[in-house]
Amino acid sequence: MTDLERILARVEKPARYVGGELNAIVKDWRRVPVRIAFAFPDVYEVGMSHLGMHILYHVVNSRDDALMERVFAPWTDMEAEMRTSGLPLFSLESHRPLRDFDVVAFSLQYELSYTNVLNMLDLAGIPLESRDRDDRMPLVVAGGPCAFNPEPLAPFLDAVFLGEGEDAVHDLVEVVRRYGRGNRDELLCALARLPGVYVPRFYRVEYAADGGVKQVVPLIDGVPGKVVKRLVRDLDRAPFPVRPIVPYLEAVHDRAMLEVFRGCTRGCRFCQAGAIYRPVRERTLKTLLDQAGELLRHTGYNELSLTSLSTTDYSEIRKLVQTLVERHRGERVNVSLPSLRVDAFAVELARAVQEVRKSSLTFAPEAGSQRLRNVINKQVTEDDLLRTVEVAFRAGWSRVKLYFMLGLPTETLEDVDGIARLARMVLDKGRECEVPKGRLSVTVSISSFVPKPHTPFQWEPQAPLAVLRERQSFLQGRLKGKNLVYRWHDPEASFLEAVFARGDRRLAPALRRALELGCRLDGWRECFRFDLWQQAFAETGVEPGAYAYRSYRYTDILPWDHLDTGIDRDFLAEEHARALAGEITKDCRGEQCTGCGLCPNLEIEPQLAEVGTGAAG
Amino acid sequence: MPRVRIAYRQEGPARYVSHLDVMRAFERAARRAGLPLAYSQGFNPRPKMTFAAPLAVGMSGCREYVDLELETEPDPAGVFELLRQNLPNGLVPVQVQAVATGPSLMSLVHRSRYIAVGDVPVGLDTGALQVGLKRFLGRGEIVVEQKRAKGVRRKNIRPGIYSLSARLDGDKLCFSMELKAGSAGNVRPDEVLAVLGKDLSLVPESFAVWRTALLSRAGRLLWDVKGDSIC
Repeated sequence: MTDLERILARVEKPARYVGGELNAIVKDWRRVPVRIAFAFPDVYEVGMSHLGMHILYHVVNSRDDALMERVFAPWTDMEAEMRTSGLPLFSLESHRPLRDFDVVAFSLQYELSYTNVLNMLDLAGIPLESRDRDDRMPLVVAGGPCAFNPEPLAPFLDAVFLGEGEDAVHDLVEVVRRYGRGNRDELLCALARLPGVYVPRFYRVEYAADGGVKQVVPLIDGVPGKVVKRLVRDLDRAPFPVRPIVPYLEAVHDRAMLEVFRGCTRGCRFCQAGAIYRPVRERTLKTLLDQAGELLRHTGYNELSLTSLSTTDYSEIRKLVQTLVERHRGERVNVSLPSLRVDAFAVELARAVQEVRKSSLTFAPEAGSQRLRNVINKQVTEDDLLRTVEVAFRAGWSRVKLYFMLGLPTETLEDVDGIARLARMVLDKGRECEVPKGRLSVTVSISSFVPKPHTPFQWEPQAPLAVLRERQSFLQGRLKGKNLVYRWHDPEASFLEAVFARGDRRLAPALRRALELGCRLDGWRECFRFDLWQQAFAETGVEPGAYAYRSYRYTDILPWDHLDTGIDRDFLAEEHARALAGEITKDCRGEQCTGCGLCPNLEIEPQLAEVGTGAAG
Repeated sequence: MPRVRIAYRQEGPARYVSHLDVMRAFERAARRAGLPLAYSQGFNPRPKMTFAAPLAVGMSGCREYVDLELETEPDPAGVFELLRQNLPNGLVPVQVQAVATGPSLMSLVHRSRYIAVGDVPVGLDTGALQVGLKRFLGRGEIVVEQKRAKGVRRKNIRPGIYSLSARLDGDKLCFSMELKAGSAGNVRPDEVLAVLGKDLSLVPESFAVWRTALLSRAGRLLWDVKGDSIC
């Protein structure tokens, strides 16, 4: 028995750590010069649900000269066993230590996974800080949404990839192939000159007396003052994994994923994904139907999820759903829509795909009053919601889930009360529609608003923890009653998320200290230790509130201003002003161009499957 | 509905897969293969699949069994080939046979055979091993404690140990055992190893375990149970 086998006998869900799943690709290392480990800083079941991983795995492994293997954060039991026996972190495909790879590529999806990034490096025996890694060590890179402000991780990362990775990962392979592992400095210089690649060590951050950033200065020739994100210009022809790995273990999303489009035209002002994945790019109906057929044939899944930021907005959605249902009904395939737009059409669609209404329907009004929904540009009215749930209840659904945020800019207690009022109106609607009492349920799921970089709310402070807690308990009190369920996220976790989302390089020591104190898997309630985080901040002299609660002026340099999503900063400022004035901005699909500047800046146009009207046509 | 009985190996990475996940893997493989699985009725139709006996996580199986109900009369050779092509790594079909409707696969299982291979404890020679084994088997009662939701349950496993032998093979210690299996009085090999572990000072976790056979009451393979006087 090997050490690994001995350990696997003692841990929960050992299948997390062994690989060997259907469609996993194991290449011969002797024949492949460039070896990349895709490192997902959360557990297997979460990472395997991430479509981006499947895409990059497919893209890299399609090359003869490169391979990609996977590694995830071990759960605490596995970590303890690995540390006791001195087993270094290894990849699932070849079970090789991470140190043997040329590149370790982290996906940054969530600020609360940052300690996992450091912990995985540590478990791999790779020095945490970029400057301590020599030629024998892999290059440590990162991408994903949090890459748009990676500053708290800056000392730990060699290079950061902004935007979509389908093309950029080819550049990475080629640069690594050219420079090999013997020329780290040259390699980093070459990377820094690639479009969309940010090499933190080549930028010096100067701080102002007021605690903010004074300026960010490029240190070598040929690196851009602003790093602009990469994107896929022709999504319809972009590579898509129709043979994704099918886990043995039940992943969080245990189904086939079809990416209908990328980007979103809605312009919700709190939403970072809506900002960083612009412009909207739809795949054609034909491509989607072909890909769906292949996906199902190669995976055997009995559920196909249409994933996108707002799937019901797809211009050919009706035809897509109808055709998928007709084609795959005989194979007992369920088509699923992850979240629904608040309108009757969306419910009609859900009805078309689900002959048995067994699950609940989820809607996200996000705020409890019309005033506040206008502030965040969530264009849903009370009438919309009530009409929509009425259609849903009459169609046979009995459970409705509603998502809201607390602590949105300008929020008052009246807005919070509006959440309870809305929930009760939905409940009344259910009774009116004669949903059986035993089955009727309205779940209100509450998260706390986190002001995210590159959104119109990037200048806004987060609501103080005390206020968030107070409003949560206020709301909880208002939502007591039969058939009502109240769910919430810990505001402490949202606070930490805000600190790191808006953070700069001076947070790095606190992150490192938190890891030493035992913080990891912070996104898991059972592991989250706010007390240890507070200790870490105190010991490293960081005032976390200075990040989460800072209110920026438009003239301030933001810690992420040197990273460019393609959207004009002035547009964000205008949107912010409109938000405070309660003015809405229309969807850029089918209506006027909102002038965010992205299309001209990146020389691209929105792409719709159906050549239609308006700005996004 | 026509039924096929499949004997398969579960090995390599698949030995870390739980029983529930193996069930799902078979369903997906059948779907990829286009086998006409029969489904249950109702709100949540499930494929009609019956496994002989769940295999513990970490253990390899040399000859596990599953019955699939199909909507059309199967060609066993064709089913074998389709499964061979479509099952994931580590789930390997060994034999496929059409079976007549009869008692459920689970109810046929009464005995299991296992091999366990691990490190030889320091200082253990063949003589000491055989003495230890003899003493172990000579006990009228071997009680193990099972942790249950409602406290601890004590169970005498001795009647369920039908045979147990051991030999030294270089630096390896190999046990062969035949234990009672099925819904009542099931004895697990790790329970035997745990008790033996105390007697012979070996580390039960360091043993790799294979289930080599699932047998009927009369000790027949599950193919061929007609000869069993009715179970």
